[in-house]
Amino acid sequence: MLPGLRDPGNRVSRRAIGYWTARAAADGLFLLVIEAVIGAAAGLSVIWWLVLPVTAVISAAYALIMPRWRYRVHRWEVTGDAVYTRTGWVSVHWRIAPISRIQTIDSHRWLGERVFGLANVTATTASAAGPVHIRGLDRATADRLLEELTVATGQIAGDAT
Amino acid sequence: MSDARDDRDSTGPLPVRPGPASPGPASPGPASTVPVSPVTVSTVPVSTGEEWLWLSPRSLVVRPVTDLLRLLPVLIGLLVFGSAHGSGGYWGIAVAALAIGASVVRYCTTRYRITAERVYLRHGLLNTKVLSVPRDRVRSVDLSAHVVYRLLGLRRVQVGTGRNDRREGESLHLDALRLADAESLRRTLLTAPRAPAGGPAGAVAGDLAPGTTPAGPQPELAAGPPGPAERELARLQPGWIRFAPLTLTGLVIIGVVVGAVLQFVDATHVNVIAVGPVHRVLVRVGTEPAGLQILDGVLTVLVAAVLLSVAGYIALFWNYRLVSEAGGVLRVSRGLLSTRVTTIDTRRLRGAELSEPLLLRAAGGARCLAITTGLRVGHGAERGGSLLVPPAPRRVAAQTAATVLGTGSGPLTGDLARHGPAARRRRHVRALSAAALVVAGFLAAGLAGAVPGWAWLPSLALLPLAAVLADDRYRSLGHRLDDGWLVTRTGSLVRRRSVLSAEGIIGWRIHQSWFQRRQGLVSLAATTAAGRQHYVAHDIPQARALALAAAATPALVSPFLDGSGPEPGPPPG
Repeated sequence: MLPGLRDPGNRVSRRAIGYWTARAAADGLFLLVIEAVIGAAAGLSVIWWLVLPVTAVISAAYALIMPRWRYRVHRWEVTGDAVYTRTGWVSVHWRIAPISRIQTIDSHRWLGERVFGLANVTATTASAAGPVHIRGLDRATADRLLEELTVATGQIAGDAT
Repeated sequence: MSDARDDRDSTGPLPVRPGPASPGPASPGPASTVPVSPVTVSTVPVSTGEEWLWLSPRSLVVRPVTDLLRLLPVLIGLLVFGSAHGSGGYWGIAVAALAIGASVVRYCTTRYRITAERVYLRHGLLNTKVLSVPRDRVRSVDLSAHVVYRLLGLRRVQVGTGRNDRREGESLHLDALRLADAESLRRTLLTAPRAPAGGPAGAVAGDLAPGTTPAGPQPELAAGPPGPAERELARLQPGWIRFAPLTLTGLVIIGVVVGAVLQFVDATHVNVIAVGPVHRVLVRVGTEPAGLQILDGVLTVLVAAVLLSVAGYIALFWNYRLVSEAGGVLRVSRGLLSTRVTTIDTRRLRGAELSEPLLLRAAGGARCLAITTGLRVGHGAERGGSLLVPPAPRRVAAQTAATVLGTGSGPLTGDLARHGPAARRRRHVRALSAAALVVAGFLAAGLAGAVPGWAWLPSLALLPLAAVLADDRYRSLGHRLDDGWLVTRTGSLVRRRSVLSAEGIIGWRIHQSWFQRRQGLVSLAATTAAGRQHYVAHDIPQARALALAAAATPALVSPFLDGSGPEPGPPPG
């Protein structure tokens, strides 16, 4: 993806595609409902017969393309020394954080993620410039990762600044 | 950047390390337990075995006197102009009375204690809160005083820790101590040995009450205040005041003054426009032609801005001194009426930043800020606490920074590697498309009849302006790696050159947008626990970015490089 920088070793769970699709679809539906309500309130004019289908097509395209594209981009890797992630889809973010500087490890399961059997892991460092997120992991991997990182960071003394 | 770490405390069910414990005085050493955050809050008093100290009783007077001074204009308005209708004034007095009551309660319930390992602060009437900070987490100690404090011989003490997301009520400040106590507390916290060696010496260091001379064998402790180990690195030169009008302080002060006048008018219902001299001036200006009126207005604001910014510079930076104290501690003291003494532990210093707002840069001036863990730029009570050198000649600012960091002049004044033609193109495209958008907006508004039809013509002037800005922004971009210092520079309206120690880098962020990918550029950010929390090299060619990151922190980055990419050119810097 970036010449000279190797890809992180692991993909996220394939089920993440389903989760992202569901979220994109929900967002699209929400937008359509809002537009329909506004259209109804303002008196259905010709414009809304144009706006609604266009929104529907764009939302559908987004829900079909974004999750697959994102799945190809999202990767993560934890070595003995560092957490290395790649996220995004149109714009891509890489993040490298040394395990010795990690302060907390969290794991979250939002309702939507639970439905798809997913979890995410967040590692914060002493810098306020953004924690490292690994999203869309399957639950077993997230638990294992959480365990590993907790052990690894627990062994390091000092205040990680 | 919003405070991302705020998420952690509210939602984090699984902290890595055991949650905040409140170790009693029996705790064997500071390194035995490392809580996740340096400030721990507990609702139970930690211990009653050791002596808890009070704030100075004089601090009781501060609040009433300050409030009285604040109410003074209103009182004068009431007395002199006799305009007593409306209840605003009485409300003000009632609020002041409440505030005085609160300050009495606060005084009576606040205690602090310093042990060998930790600093404790206890406060609260119904819910007693105890804040404690391990002494080895103390990054800075800030003594400040406005006029009332100085008249009473008091100082407000703010203890800076590494915590960046400090919330109200969790900041460790003592408001206020007697000057001598505050000074001795500052010395105790920043120069006493952090990790007391086992045995009696460590125990003796335990209960250093401010105001008493530290006893016991403590070789690292400086002897007395004006010891020979003090070295002055910089002090205010009267000539520096010429840079004052080139900052925007004057305009800010005008805003504050206008606000105060409006508030005064609102509270007293005095018709300022009808007051003798003001009225005469307004009448005379009113008879002038329109062009002259505008000229008058502009000149008035300009003169006022210059005078006020000079006054502001003197008020803030008079007696400015930067002193290197024994034990690796920097002390910045400044202020004419309100004073401020900031102490920075050089072991927490991760670099320095030269900041040059456009006007200041044009005149060859610069400010210098410290990049320190625990002093986050522009945040809360520590705002301005990271200042190392006020607006001064760039040469002086750079030299002082180099001395403080213990580097040569290379990182601070040496030439930077440019980011190349693609970066320049990107700057131009971005600036011009923004300007073109504005012009198009005017054009559309003109066609729709919202503005006069010719209104888009003057807006065309934005295009060359944008080109000039873009070019300057490109020329600002640069990076350098010099002897373990990562140097990045960016910005045009405020150009910032930051020098960050590679040891202070605790991670990397690389960002590549769709457009950047097509041009082979990335934005490379080194994250750190100090200063602005991340320092970015914008639009740097991707191969160069990787080479730079790998050269700055080889152990961290090189495992993730592969040989497949194009050769990363000549080493940066």
